[in-house]
Amino acid sequence: MPRSEALDRGMRLTALAADIRAEWRSGNRARLARVVIALLVVFAAATFVGSIMTGAADASLSNVVRWLLGANDADQVLSVRDRIIILDIRLPRAVLGMLVGASLAVSGVVMQGLFRNPLADPGLVGVSSGASLGAVLLIVLGSAVFGPLFALFGFYALPVAAFIGGLITTLLLYRIATRGGQTSVATLLLAGIALGALTGAFTGVLIFMADDKQLRDVTFWGLGSLAGANWTKIAAAAPIILLSLAVTPFLSRGLNAITLGEAAAFHMGIPVQRMKNIAIVSVAAATGASVAVSGGIGFVGIVVPHLLRLVIGPDHRYLVPASALLGGTLLILADMIARTIASPAELPIGIVTAFIGAPFFLWILLRGRTNMGL
Amino acid sequence: MIKVSNLSVRLGGRQVIHGISLEAAPGALTAIVGPNGCGKTTTLKAISGELTPEGGSVSINGRNLMGLKPWELALKRGVLPQSTVISFPFTVREVVRLGLTAGATSDAKADDRVAADALEAVDLGGFAGRFYQELSGGEQQRVQLARVLCQISDPVADGEPRYLLLDEPVSSLDIRHQLTIMQLARRFCERGGGVIAVMHDLNLTAMFADRMIMMKAGKIRASGAPRDVLTDETMEAVFGCRMQVSAMPAAGVPFVLPQTATL
Repeated sequence: MPRSEALDRGMRLTALAADIRAEWRSGNRARLARVVIALLVVFAAATFVGSIMTGAADASLSNVVRWLLGANDADQVLSVRDRIIILDIRLPRAVLGMLVGASLAVSGVVMQGLFRNPLADPGLVGVSSGASLGAVLLIVLGSAVFGPLFALFGFYALPVAAFIGGLITTLLLYRIATRGGQTSVATLLLAGIALGALTGAFTGVLIFMADDKQLRDVTFWGLGSLAGANWTKIAAAAPIILLSLAVTPFLSRGLNAITLGEAAAFHMGIPVQRMKNIAIVSVAAATGASVAVSGGIGFVGIVVPHLLRLVIGPDHRYLVPASALLGGTLLILADMIARTIASPAELPIGIVTAFIGAPFFLWILLRGRTNMGL
Repeated sequence: MIKVSNLSVRLGGRQVIHGISLEAAPGALTAIVGPNGCGKTTTLKAISGELTPEGGSVSINGRNLMGLKPWELALKRGVLPQSTVISFPFTVREVVRLGLTAGATSDAKADDRVAADALEAVDLGGFAGRFYQELSGGEQQRVQLARVLCQISDPVADGEPRYLLLDEPVSSLDIRHQLTIMQLARRFCERGGGVIAVMHDLNLTAMFADRMIMMKAGKIRASGAPRDVLTDETMEAVFGCRMQVSAMPAAGVPFVLPQTATL
């Protein structure tokens, strides 16, 4: 019986694969995209669990699960040390990795859709630098200048400062690079370099003014890391990230339409200006919150959407959720590399993503020179 | 009926349209012609709602454009722009189905059929699985037209005529496809819809248009049936070159050959 069941399932899978191939040939990638998303969910779950089980200390996950389920012999199966390692170190780290990775990848997708170009990425065009500047301003000038901000936002002050920095940069960038609904990509990238340099210079001034403790805090931003993950940081960043992720599915149709140009999107019934405003604010919020909790982690926003477009195509209804899943998963994997490769020491994760992402980025350039709109 | 009254448009501080009025009736193919930079495309953009006029008004089936939401407009008229560059790897099918953005039904089969029919209508039947970026300019133009036909598939909906606004729909097409597309526009009119097309080829316009509007320097210089508009006098007044307009003996359709010109 089980044998014929397995056979049956095998045949159904073969039929599904044949259907998908036939649909792909007629330009229909919707079902392929749904299958890919389902696989990504499994991949993300496996990676999440894997990352909680991996590390220098040997803490058993099954014991944690038993402890959580309230096993009677709880205190024997799980030492206090294991409980702390898993629940207060590895779990928040995996959660933060998933959130930040998803937010970076989705910010990339939305920004690329908005600017109608696969090279637009918050990290690449200076939005992350703007967000960093906001965060560094807050760290260095601190409560002396931003006392009211602290009072108003509590531990949200840092993500909010980074959000404001990112928002100002995005708006400037949009103003400079887009005229009459057409975005000049060359202007976009060059303006991104200029804005990056400018915010970098401001950050430099602040570092110059900083004392030793602030300097350590600030240096952390440049490298990017999930090492400081804890539940407080998650509480500060998660609402902002989740809110901006929750908005993006509603932008999908508009982002699809706007790939034909802002005028064409309007012709097809999209309220373009409103959609752009929502997109810009959500990119700035997601980028700001990510930068605030994990510093500058580059290339996720450009590598993940690009890889997925090769497989499932640019339809944002599928690209957005797929990017969120793959972004989160890849960042957790990069973090696993970062904390095991030089164990017990730890590499900043920004270094890992740059080592993987930068060559990949060059490969994109080599491969698709004519399709970049440059 | 699309009604433009006393429309003025200012672009970058310069007045480009000077109080023009025109009507495009359902059932008729209205063509706008004129020299480069005379305001044809600007007029079409104002009619589509893409540009806000400085003065005057545009109404579609009796409703002022200003009072309509983008998605309401999208169900009344489709717009074909001059050229469309896409920097993402969409397949032809995906581009055409973008036309369903405002009017997708819950019936996936019906939507599929509308998209397939639209591709068939522009003679791109087997192209659904090709990548848009890999097509030639003329093929891309026809895919865009299919996308517009997917948006406005029926010439009449809810008892109201619908409209196609086409900006140089045949500019990069070979002669056979020029005829295919003009015939398609013509059939759309015969089935009760309306078409406004900005055109360059005067002979093709004379052959297919019911009404011809000739513009110069942001004003309308002549309008009416092609045989009344396309005359030696208007040719010289509008294009600044003396030409001899002839007519096909049978149908009385006027034509003009560049060989007759003296500059």
